[in-house]
Amino acid sequence: MNIVIIGNGVAGVEAALTVRKREPDWNVTIISEESDHFFSRTALMWVVCGQMKHEDIEPYERDLYARLRFQRVRARAVGVDVTNKQVALSGEAAISYDRLLIACGSRPRPGPWPGSDLPGIGHFVTLQDLEWLEAELHGGPSVSRPPRPEEHLPRSSDDSPYRVRKTVLGERGGSAQAPAVVGGGLIGIEAVEVMVAAGLRPKFFIREEWFWPMAIEPREAKWITDRMASHGVEVLLEHDLKEFQGNGRVERIVTNQGEYPADLAVVAIGVVPNTSWLAQSSIELDARGGIVVDDQLTTSDPSVFAAGDCAAVGWFDGSRRPQQLWYTSRDQGRVAGRRLLGDTAEYRRGLWYNSAKLMDIEYTTAGLVNMNVEGEHNWFFEEQGRVRSTTRIVTRGAGTDKDPVIGFNLLGRRWDHAVLLQWIEERRALRWVLKNLRRASFDTEFVPPLSIPSSALAATEGANALEGPAPNPYIKGPTAYPYS
Amino acid sequence: MDQQGQNGLMKTYRQGYRSRGAMGYVAAIGLLAFYLILYFQDKLGVTWFDDIAAAMGLENRWYLYGFLYCVGMVFGGAYYLRHHGNSRYNRIRIAVNITVQVLLGFSLPFVMHLFGERDFYFSYIWPLKIEYLYPSDISQFPIYIIAYSALASLLAMPVLAYFFGKRWYCSWVCGCGGLANTFGDPWRHLTSTSTRSWKFEQVSVHSVMFLAVLTTAAVGLDFAIGNQYPTFHAFAGELRSWYGLVVGAILAGVVGVGFYPLFGPRVWCRNFCPMAAMLGLIQKLGRYRIRVKDDMCISCGNCTTYCEMGIDVRSYAQQNQSFTRASCVGCGMCAHVCPRGVLKLENTWSLNRDKHRQGLNVLDV
Repeated sequence: MNIVIIGNGVAGVEAALTVRKREPDWNVTIISEESDHFFSRTALMWVVCGQMKHEDIEPYERDLYARLRFQRVRARAVGVDVTNKQVALSGEAAISYDRLLIACGSRPRPGPWPGSDLPGIGHFVTLQDLEWLEAELHGGPSVSRPPRPEEHLPRSSDDSPYRVRKTVLGERGGSAQAPAVVGGGLIGIEAVEVMVAAGLRPKFFIREEWFWPMAIEPREAKWITDRMASHGVEVLLEHDLKEFQGNGRVERIVTNQGEYPADLAVVAIGVVPNTSWLAQSSIELDARGGIVVDDQLTTSDPSVFAAGDCAAVGWFDGSRRPQQLWYTSRDQGRVAGRRLLGDTAEYRRGLWYNSAKLMDIEYTTAGLVNMNVEGEHNWFFEEQGRVRSTTRIVTRGAGTDKDPVIGFNLLGRRWDHAVLLQWIEERRALRWVLKNLRRASFDTEFVPPLSIPSSALAATEGANALEGPAPNPYIKGPTAYPYS
Repeated sequence: MDQQGQNGLMKTYRQGYRSRGAMGYVAAIGLLAFYLILYFQDKLGVTWFDDIAAAMGLENRWYLYGFLYCVGMVFGGAYYLRHHGNSRYNRIRIAVNITVQVLLGFSLPFVMHLFGERDFYFSYIWPLKIEYLYPSDISQFPIYIIAYSALASLLAMPVLAYFFGKRWYCSWVCGCGGLANTFGDPWRHLTSTSTRSWKFEQVSVHSVMFLAVLTTAAVGLDFAIGNQYPTFHAFAGELRSWYGLVVGAILAGVVGVGFYPLFGPRVWCRNFCPMAAMLGLIQKLGRYRIRVKDDMCISCGNCTTYCEMGIDVRSYAQQNQSFTRASCVGCGMCAHVCPRGVLKLENTWSLNRDKHRQGLNVLDV
């Protein structure tokens, strides 16, 4: 059996491991344009600042491919011929498959503004972006580079997310001094952090009224924005970009509020499925470029599967779109591996949860917190003692503390999301949840536990009355709850 | 304020002395030379350290070393707190460790000596300080010290390790561990995390433990019946001085600290310390573990990189596997640097059956 996997990321590698566990003799080929080794894409920021070196973000030792007899092909896939069961490669002979997994991930969404292709403007998603940013901020990598970084150059193309960007070190006369980040989301704040770590004071252009409105509300965002400002970040809210300007390299950023000097810009306005190379194949894509799959991750062709960022999988609310998260890609990769083996296996994700670290503030979310739906109420508590934290618990119902809890948005402390999700599924009332909240704590030893004063516990009267949904014009989610 | 997790990004590999750059090699050569001269000055025919000690009014070079050790620990502790002191666990742990070492490891023996008593280091116990169960040595101490040594080594050590893991000693009390976590902290990421280094550690650390037990037994037997068997008496004496030279001086001192800037600060603790090996075996059967939150790991590798014992923490975290590894000293840095709060050190009340007791390999096919 010939298994071919396009993509050396977490979905592809997890699928390959799943196949190899059961079938020691099958041929498994992994095609990657980006890298010889599987690495953690979520960890790019720590390599730029020097907290880790390139090898450190590779989850497995480098002998993995030899030891498990995975054949690696460092090439760019340019098409799939489902009739003859072949993957076409740029500049190399096509590869035949019996079963194919497409796990080619995302590519950064390009800036839609004039001048977005000026040198000195880039993204922060791929290994090549990492090398570019290392060079622009520090003049180069710290102690190591990924092996054979130049290998893919002749095979890359100008529209590939894996092309190596030209730096403007020479034109600028050194590393960047006035960097900017465009896009108030997770990748944006990561780029801001590595610039702060490089000793710079970046400008952070955010279109919305507050940082990351997809996940947090204004009160929560204010704390994060203040923390950024205290580290020297110039946070520019409600700045709609108009244009990048410059002579041969980026020199200015023009927004609806004025003109700002910048000698480096990271555009972080989201990612889209990296599937334009499939346009000529007969594999069905949805309107946003996601590969259409069923719950078993089968594409429109029965011997082709898709997993990870490029696959439009089912969500808890019934919609089908890519789920651009590390652990969901890993789970999809494991399901896809079983599908490649010929098993029946379904990918189903339960309730939403996620975590992040925003500057030095820990963030955990579970359930539905930003639905903006009538009948939703917020219980909010800001802790200002030895530990600083915010706790937002979302309920649904009449606005009393007997209403069931449907979501948690928590900053500043560590929480076990599994316990929180269980409470949501058990439809625990707000009163019960507040009384038992410590059971979900995942705080480090010796950290004083969250203690909520009784005045804040009486959540339904007077000054502590539960609030309605926070006005959030940026959420265009479902207008009704996906479960009754 | 008590924050959890790391505060700000670290520039580790962009600092040459921390990343095996030229300054790293200079530091290693300096430390190696320092310990070689300290331990083997007679063979080298110099008396520099004794001369400096005399000029400072100290009786011999070991008091000078104790003083320098405390200075290194205090300044290293300040470095550690500046980088990781935002976490209360780190603050309490390092404060206790420095206090124990400055009081019990330096001041108290010095005071005992001033009062004309034989100096005794209450922070060291058998089998790390192997002499403290040699009948010939311990019998020269007053009875309360004999009782302390026996109780601490044979009772407190295993019982505490069962309930709290080996961290009660290796990260809260021990002088080697204390120096590693203060003066040695800038180099903690240099410990190898390869499978090969793990295999080496398993063989070497348990071999030294076996040797320590063998040497203690031989010296004890020699004390009892040595005068009847001259051949055995000679053998026990040989073994004792050989162990003191190879393990006590070369491995614990010269190699253990000299290679901080090249191979990380726990070379001795991880690969050679008989006490660590013994505590590790008890820890594996005991109640300490690193708990892993389900399905939240992003495989970034900060935990593995900053583990000073070379444990591939990520391999467990990405498999949702709470675990106890014999070598884990419970410094807490994996949980501290985790950007997603996935890891938590804890002593469980009940023995958890789900705790993984073996190492995880990717695939054994």
